[in-house]
Amino acid sequence: MKRLICAAVLAVATTVGCFGQAKKPTLMVVPSDAWCTKNGYVKTYDNQGVAESYPDYWQALRENTDLQLVISKVGEMMSERGFPLKDLEATLRSIRTDAAEDGVTMSKETGDGLAESPLEALKRTAKADIILQLTWTVNKTGPKQSVTFTLRGLDAYTDKQVAAASGTGNPSFSAEVPVLLEEGVLAHIDNFNSQLQAHFDDLFANGREVKLTCRRWSGSDVDFESEFDGEELGFLIEGWVGDNTVQGRFSTAEASENRMVFEQVRIPVMAENGRAMDTRLWANGLRRYLKTNYGLDAKLDTKGLGEAIITIGGK
Amino acid sequence: MKIKGLLWVALLVLPLAAGAQQHRRKVRKADAETREWKYEITPVSVGAKGSVVVAVWSDSANPVVAGEQAKKNAVHGLIFKGMPANGAVPGKRPLVPVSTGDEQQQRKEAEYFDRFFEDGGAYMRFVTLTSEEQQVTKIDRRKYRVGVVVVVSYDELRRELENRGIVRKLDAGF
Repeated sequence: MKRLICAAVLAVATTVGCFGQAKKPTLMVVPSDAWCTKNGYVKTYDNQGVAESYPDYWQALRENTDLQLVISKVGEMMSERGFPLKDLEATLRSIRTDAAEDGVTMSKETGDGLAESPLEALKRTAKADIILQLTWTVNKTGPKQSVTFTLRGLDAYTDKQVAAASGTGNPSFSAEVPVLLEEGVLAHIDNFNSQLQAHFDDLFANGREVKLTCRRWSGSDVDFESEFDGEELGFLIEGWVGDNTVQGRFSTAEASENRMVFEQVRIPVMAENGRAMDTRLWANGLRRYLKTNYGLDAKLDTKGLGEAIITIGGK
Repeated sequence: MKIKGLLWVALLVLPLAAGAQQHRRKVRKADAETREWKYEITPVSVGAKGSVVVAVWSDSANPVVAGEQAKKNAVHGLIFKGMPANGAVPGKRPLVPVSTGDEQQQRKEAEYFDRFFEDGGAYMRFVTLTSEEQQVTKIDRRKYRVGVVVVVSYDELRRELENRGIVRKLDAGF
């Protein structure tokens, strides 16, 4: 009996410890597209006759030691503030290994490979809640050189810049580029973190900003102008969104019979049961609301970390 | 004979006591000027990891008092005042911009900072180096402006304020 009570107390304590805290955002440092292009770390592909290029982080990390230095320096500083960075190189390696393993994995009985839709394959990229985008250029004036350093924090949910620090260090005759880069990180990281702190304060006070898109399958009988209990479905959804956002904050960017888009939707950081909330969990509430109250089936997808897509009229 | 001796002692001690009293008065005045933001602070260079190098200008009738007060002003400036960029050296926002806590919290913070900034208070823990060279300028008949370069352990200072609950940790709430 005593053991049972002890186990129960331990379980409750663990649960309380786990709940009541928001999901910690993951941070990852990546070189900016401009830096990759300038330094030749790009891959080009043919998009229906148009040559398009995208940054090749893998090559950049393998060949550029300055990049590794800056990433590890930023990582060191962020770790001290309680935010260990998600490592870009490790993440890319993990994606490559997973892809290789998935390619040769097959069922022992049927010989079937793993199921993966083209959309799922496309989504398998390095992800983090906040991307710290780095750019630097080395300026030379005669024998002197200096470094112009830019660090931008982009919220992956909204693609908005939430923090930034930039500047050009003092020109030096003797200091080498890695030393100037280290100085750049030391000089700017505190101001960057002050802005990041302001972003987190806003997040706790006003909720996390996400986007919600509602659409319908072409074969569905129901559209957003269909009436339920004397009210159009579009307005019912709008009402649910208003009731389930922090202080009812959202804006309806688009509303037609086939499509509705809600932007600047501020979802709570924590659910009512004390669990950390994310876009998918929040939008699942709408899916369940439509099913329970109006018998409507809907498919829930997410795009990136900050957009939920609900398609009504089936899965 | 005894009275004569006592008079001699008094003559020797009184000027010393008066001098000490005058010094204390100047220190108190300098403290009051710190609270009234009567000092100037600017970044000098990007210091080593975790530290900040600042130049502080303080005014006093006594250059020695102003030089000592510069250490206090450097820490005070980083906590409450912040500083704009100086050429290529970026500035810093104040660690404690405006107290947003309730009245009780504000009173608690005020008490903490009174103790923190008293002579020989905890602020000295965060002053790691002061330049030997001082820039002394006589600004009027009774006042000197003294410029001193001070190195402050910025990260340690922030950590102390975080542990006291005065500054929010970056990962607070997560």
